[in-house]
Amino acid sequence: METAEQTTKLSSLASNLILSYTGNSSAVALFDGLDFPTTREESWKYNRTGQLSSRNWKFSKAQEIPLLPFNLLNYPNRIVFINGTFTPLHSNIQPWKGIELNTDVVVSDVANKRPQDAFEALSLTFPQSGLNIRVRSGVEPGVEIAVFHLFTGRDTISQPVNNILVENGSRLQITEFYIHAEDAITFANVKSNIVAENGAIVEIDSVQIGSENSFHFHQTDTVLHKDATFTHNLVTLSGKWTRNNTNAQLKGKGAACNFNGFFIPNGAEFVDNHTIIDHESSHCQSNELYRGVLSENAVGVFNGKVFVRRDAQKTNAFQSNGNVLLSDGATMNSKPELEIYADDVKCSHGSTTGQLDDEAVFYLQSRGISSGNARKMLVAAFAESVLKNIMNVNVRQLAEKTIEEKLK
Amino acid sequence: MLSIKNLHAEVEGKKILTGLNLEVKPGEVHAIMGPNGSGKSTLASVLAGNEAFETTEGTVNFQGKDLLSMEPDKRSHAGLFLAFQYPVEIPGVSNINFLRTAINERREALGEEALSAKDFLAMVKEKSKLVELDNKLTNRSVNEGFSGGEKKRNEIFQMAMLEPSLCILDETDSGLDIDALRIVANGVNQLRNPERSFIVITHYQRLLDYIVPDFVHVLYNGRIVKTGGKELALELEEKGYDWIKKEQEQVSA
Repeated sequence: METAEQTTKLSSLASNLILSYTGNSSAVALFDGLDFPTTREESWKYNRTGQLSSRNWKFSKAQEIPLLPFNLLNYPNRIVFINGTFTPLHSNIQPWKGIELNTDVVVSDVANKRPQDAFEALSLTFPQSGLNIRVRSGVEPGVEIAVFHLFTGRDTISQPVNNILVENGSRLQITEFYIHAEDAITFANVKSNIVAENGAIVEIDSVQIGSENSFHFHQTDTVLHKDATFTHNLVTLSGKWTRNNTNAQLKGKGAACNFNGFFIPNGAEFVDNHTIIDHESSHCQSNELYRGVLSENAVGVFNGKVFVRRDAQKTNAFQSNGNVLLSDGATMNSKPELEIYADDVKCSHGSTTGQLDDEAVFYLQSRGISSGNARKMLVAAFAESVLKNIMNVNVRQLAEKTIEEKLK
Repeated sequence: MLSIKNLHAEVEGKKILTGLNLEVKPGEVHAIMGPNGSGKSTLASVLAGNEAFETTEGTVNFQGKDLLSMEPDKRSHAGLFLAFQYPVEIPGVSNINFLRTAINERREALGEEALSAKDFLAMVKEKSKLVELDNKLTNRSVNEGFSGGEKKRNEIFQMAMLEPSLCILDETDSGLDIDALRIVANGVNQLRNPERSFIVITHYQRLLDYIVPDFVHVLYNGRIVKTGGKELALELEEKGYDWIKKEQEQVSA
């Protein structure tokens, strides 16, 4: 009856996690044959998960807010989670008209699920709280909701799951913060499921602030129906190890998707952005712009896939990744991919990686600006084309402040 | 003000300046002419501190300081200004923010207080008139999408804003039509005063019709081989550079 199950890093982590998990865990059978990815897998080619997979992570509850780079009270409509658990003490939720909201743990029916990777398997097996929001049809809430996912403690794993549903013709704007406490050792495995129904507009600013010992994984899967618009501004300001899988399925005719990303790793930080934009229907458009600034020994990855399916005629798809390397030790791996199966489409993609323009630095210097400030100005200008899309002013300022600090 | 002695410079191992001497006193306008490849623009780049050029010998004393040991921004703070032959386009950096940063960094270096936004804008308004620079251009990204003439006017506008004591104009007349040339030259002339000196590098005599020099130098093979008054420029216009080249060949023979 029993099969001799091979012990993998994933299965031993899972059997450990059962001890600290407080929810109702589903079958561990999901792990059958799965393990953490290795660099032999194409989509993990530049990404080492060894340090992450060999740690003895555990779930851990906490109430105290870690040190933040801003005041929480600046965000009147806020929902705060610490280590994957909703924290009402620090939150401020109003009964917003047309919005149904809860922070329940959503347990998936895993019976027929085949998780695509170790992260999904962990999330399905041990899900934690996240933002579950449903914006009723025809509602323009007019409130900007801020969601804080904070991570603290030593060897703490957190697995928030967010479910966002924006019904026909309604609109939702969210600012998300994922913040790992400075002196903590934390692993966040975040899953976001987003559905924008016909004509809905969903706009998300998502900020990631890590630590010297943070591991951050975020899988975002979005489905866009007819004429829906999704804008995702992803800003990775710091963190030891960050991996984002940001995906959108343009399922309905006339849907639009805007992906903007900015990352600025230094030291030995590692940032890996994978995106998939899947044009399934006709008359859809997608705009993707990711820009990275890498210094010291930082390593970055951009892999952006755009699929234009056979039925997706009249598609407009534009993708661009630009990177600046500020030191000889910094590395960027950029791979834009475009697969087109329709014949009446407008698509372009491109990738550039280079140093700051010496001539421009000299020009600014010759006017009396120090070389340090000249470089900061040029980096800020380079980042501007992404940062200008950010809706929340505080997020923008936070990004600008990080540029200032990291280029010291 | 500026004293260049036996200056040697090279770029990528190629010797360009081979023992150049030049003295500039306050209020003087020196024109430097010469055939292509004689080292005119190299001189401008070396004086401004472009790292692509290596000085291998000689000294440059500017206002009592060793210019060659200074960073480009410090040279600017000390009062040196180079109007570039090819001003760089810098997308995303606004002309106005860039100038305000530049002015305030200099003021800080000189121990002065930062200019208030109000005083700064008043100054922009006044100085941009000097070269008839459109307000819209001052608010755009540095040189981005500017026409050739607009770029050169922007250089002179920056020069007016930074109030340098030594202005080096590197082929500011290149690519200008006659109207733009007149505007640029007018701007320069309004900035002339007994304390401010100019080094005007040019191929053609026509700029010197507008900006009348006190001295004209001919640069050839990396050295100044002939110096005269403004009439030398007219002579060069008429006879070209061949007679200078021949003279030099005879000297070295």
